[in-house]
Amino acid sequence: MFRYIVKRLIEIIPIIFVVSLLIFFFIHLVPGDPVRLAAGKEATLEEIERVRQELGLDKPLLTQYINYMQNLLTGNLGHSLKTGLPISDMFENRFSVTMTLTFMSLGWALVLGLLIGTISAVFRNKWPDYVGMLTAISGISLPGFWLGLILIQVFSVTLGWFPTGGVDSWKSYVLPSLTLGAGIMSMLARFTRSSLLETLKEDFIRTGRAKGLKESVVVRKHALKNSMIPVVTIAGLQFGFLLGGSVVVETVFSIPGMGRLLIDSIAFRDYPVVQAVILLFSLEFILVNLLVDILYKALNPKIRYDS
Amino acid sequence: MKKASFLRTASVLLFSVALLFGCSSGGGSGSGTPAASNGGATTGAPQKDQLVIAVNENFITMDPQNTGDALSSGVQSAMFEGLLIYDKDLKLMPGLSTEYSVNKDATEYTFKLRQNVKFHDGTPFNAEAVKINFDRMSNKDNNLRAYRNYKYIKSTEVVDEHTVKVTLNQPFSAMINKFTTGIISPAALEKYGKDITKNPVGTGPYKFVEWVQGDHLTVELNPDHWNKGAAKVGKIVYKPVPENGSRVAMLKTGEADVIYPLPEQQVETLNGEEGVKVERTPSTITRYVSINMLKKPFDDPRVRQAINHAVDKDAFIKVVKSGYGAQLESVMSPTIAHYAKQGTYEYNIEKAKQLLKEAGYENGFTTDIWGNTNSDTMKGMQFIQQQLQKVGITVEVKSMEEATLSDEIYGIKSPEEAKMNMWYVSWSSADPDNAMRSLFSSENFPPAGANTAFYKNDLVDQSIKEATQSSDQDKQKQLYGVVQENVFKDAPWIFLAVDEILYGKRANVNGVYITPSGGIYVREAAFQ
Repeated sequence: MFRYIVKRLIEIIPIIFVVSLLIFFFIHLVPGDPVRLAAGKEATLEEIERVRQELGLDKPLLTQYINYMQNLLTGNLGHSLKTGLPISDMFENRFSVTMTLTFMSLGWALVLGLLIGTISAVFRNKWPDYVGMLTAISGISLPGFWLGLILIQVFSVTLGWFPTGGVDSWKSYVLPSLTLGAGIMSMLARFTRSSLLETLKEDFIRTGRAKGLKESVVVRKHALKNSMIPVVTIAGLQFGFLLGGSVVVETVFSIPGMGRLLIDSIAFRDYPVVQAVILLFSLEFILVNLLVDILYKALNPKIRYDS
Repeated sequence: MKKASFLRTASVLLFSVALLFGCSSGGGSGSGTPAASNGGATTGAPQKDQLVIAVNENFITMDPQNTGDALSSGVQSAMFEGLLIYDKDLKLMPGLSTEYSVNKDATEYTFKLRQNVKFHDGTPFNAEAVKINFDRMSNKDNNLRAYRNYKYIKSTEVVDEHTVKVTLNQPFSAMINKFTTGIISPAALEKYGKDITKNPVGTGPYKFVEWVQGDHLTVELNPDHWNKGAAKVGKIVYKPVPENGSRVAMLKTGEADVIYPLPEQQVETLNGEEGVKVERTPSTITRYVSINMLKKPFDDPRVRQAINHAVDKDAFIKVVKSGYGAQLESVMSPTIAHYAKQGTYEYNIEKAKQLLKEAGYENGFTTDIWGNTNSDTMKGMQFIQQQLQKVGITVEVKSMEEATLSDEIYGIKSPEEAKMNMWYVSWSSADPDNAMRSLFSSENFPPAGANTAFYKNDLVDQSIKEATQSSDQDKQKQLYGVVQENVFKDAPWIFLAVDEILYGKRANVNGVYITPSGGIYVREAAFQ
C-alpha cells in the first residue's frame, strides 16, 4: 500500500509537466493580446511594444516557457499581467475561501444524499421513496444561478437571516453551500439508491436476513458499506470539481474564490494566472483521485494495489 | 416492524438535520439583521459609521499613476488628490493647488500649492513631492499608464516650497485635465517601490486600511485632511459584487449603502422600495456604431447618412436602454466641456432609401456588425439589424468575446487589413481632447489608436491640432465646435445614445455621488 502511494505520488511529476506544457501553448494559441488589454484602447504602438517588452511577452514562446518552468521549479508562480501582483498573493485568500465552501457543500450533500438514498432504497416504490427522489430530481434540475438568487430573495432580503454574499462569517457560507451542494446531494442520493438496491438483491443479504438479523443492521452494516464504491467515486469527482471553484455560485454570492479568478484571468488573457490556477486544479484533481483509490481499498479489502 | 424501526431512526436523523439548520438560522435572526449588525458591530456605537459601496468588478490597482479602469480610479479618489480635482459634476476645482496660471501657448503651467497638507504617512506635501511624482510619470522607463499624458512634460521645476512650474515639450491644452492624477507620498514610493499598487498613500479625505484581494477594500477617515469635516463617515468599504441581482439584494437588505452600476432592468424593482433611492445622472459614455469608412459601401457618405436615418434612436433608448439615456446629438456627451449640440439624424426610412438609391444601393447590401458577448450589446446589435433590414440592408450579427474582439480591431498590421465593417461600442472620456483626438484624428488609425471608423478629414485634423495648442478657452470652443459639426455631418458612426449613470443608495446616505464618468465621489459622505 505504502509503495503504491509513493508510486502514485511520483507519477504526479510527469503529469504536471505535460499539463503545464499543454496549458502554456494552448493559452497562447487563443486569440487576444494581454498587452493590448493592459495598455488600453488609446495606447500608441510604441507604448504597446514597451509594455510587451516589460512583461517579457516579446520573446519567443519557447524561451517564455523555459523561463516560466524555471520560475515554477523554484516555487515562483510569477506575477499577474493584469494587476502586477505576485500570483501567490492573489491565491492566498481565494484558496481558503474555495476550500471552506467545498467542504461545507460536500459535507451536507454527503449526509443528506446518503440519507435520502438509503431511505429511498429501503422503501422502494413507497411514499418515502417518491418524496426522496422528487427532492433529488429538483436538486439536480434547479440551475444554480436561479436557486442562488431565490435563496437570496427568501433568506436574505425577506427574512434577513443570512447575508446576500461575501465571506465575512460562517453565515455567509450557508446559502452558497446550499446552492452548490444541491446538485451533488441529489446525485449522491440517486447513486446511493440504485447501488443499494443492487446490493440488497445479493445472496449475502438474503443470508443475513435468513439468519434473523434486524433489517436496520442488514442495511447499515452489510448493504450500505458494499454499495459505497460508486458513491465514493462520484463524491471524489465532485470534490475535485468543487475545488476548482464554482463560477456561478461565486458570482451570485460575490465570493472571492478560485473559479472567478480563473474566468477573470482568461477574459484578460492573464497567462501566468491562468497557468497557475489550472496547474493547481490539476494537482488537486490528481490528489483527490489518489484519495478515492485509497478509500476503495478501505471499503473493499478485496481490492489490492500492491501487485 | 423492522422496517418501521429503521424509518424511525431515519426520520429522527432527518429531523435533527432540519433542526440543526433551523437553529442556525434562528441564531441568525436573533442577532439582528445583517444591516443592523453592519454599522453597530464595528463601532459599538448606535450611530452608523460604515458605508458599504458595492460595485460590479474587481479593482485592479491602487497606483493612481498606473490605472486604466474607471473603477480603480473611483476607489482611489477617496485616498488620492491631484493638483486639481474633479467635482461630482466633472468640473475642475482646486485640489492640492490653490491656483494656477498657463501661458498662451499652453506650454507652461505654474501652480501655487496648498499649504500645511500632509500625506497619510505624516510626510509633508510640497513642491518637491510634486516634482518627484511628475518625474516618475514622465519617465518612459517607469512604464506607467500616466506616461501617455505626462510624456508632454519636459521639466518640472521647484520654484519655492509651495510653487511648481511645469514646462511642456509641445503645446498641449488638454494637459490641465491631466493634472487631476493623484499625487503619491514620495516616502511611500521609496518604501514600497512596485508594491505601491497595494499600499496606497496619498493626501485624500480617506486613508487606506486594507485590501483583501477579490473581496473588499477598506478606507478610513483621514483626521488630518486639509478640508476636514466635509466627509463625515468613519469608514468606507468597497466591495466587488459582479452579479446584478445580488447587488440589488444587498441594497435592499442594507448590506450595501450604495450600489453602482444599477442595471436598467432592475430599476423597476427598486422604485417604491422603502429606504432606497434610485439616482440618475447623464454620463460621459457615448454609445454608437463605428463604421469602417475605408470599406465599400461605407466609403460613400450618403450610405452612412442613410444608415443614420434608418435607425430610430428613441426606440433604441426605449428597447435597448430601458428608457434610461438620451439621444447622442454630437460626437460626445453634453457633460464634457466645449460640447456643441448638432441635433439628430431624424428617423426617416424614405429619406434613407432615397440616399441609398443616390449612392447606387437601391437594393441594399449585406454586411456585418461586431460587438462583445455582453447581453446588452447583443440586444443593441439585434436592434440595428432589425432597423437596417427595413431599408434593405442585411446585417449579420457577430458577437465575439472581448479579448478576441479587441485583437481583431486593434491587432491589425495596417488600416487596409481591417476586417471590421461596423462595430457596436461605447466610449467614455472626461475631456474634449480625449473625446475627439483619440477617435477622429487620422493619426490615430488602428493599430496606432482608437479611430476605428478610419475617419479622415483635414479640417478636423487641423482644428484638433490647433485646439491642443491653445490655452484660450474661447478659441478651443470654436475649434472643437468645428470638429463636432464636421464629424457629425460626415457620419463615421451611427449616432445612438448617451448613457445615463444609474445607481442606488439607501435613503440615509448623503453626499455620495457617482460622477458622469463613473467615478465614485465620497468627499462629502455622511449619514443622515
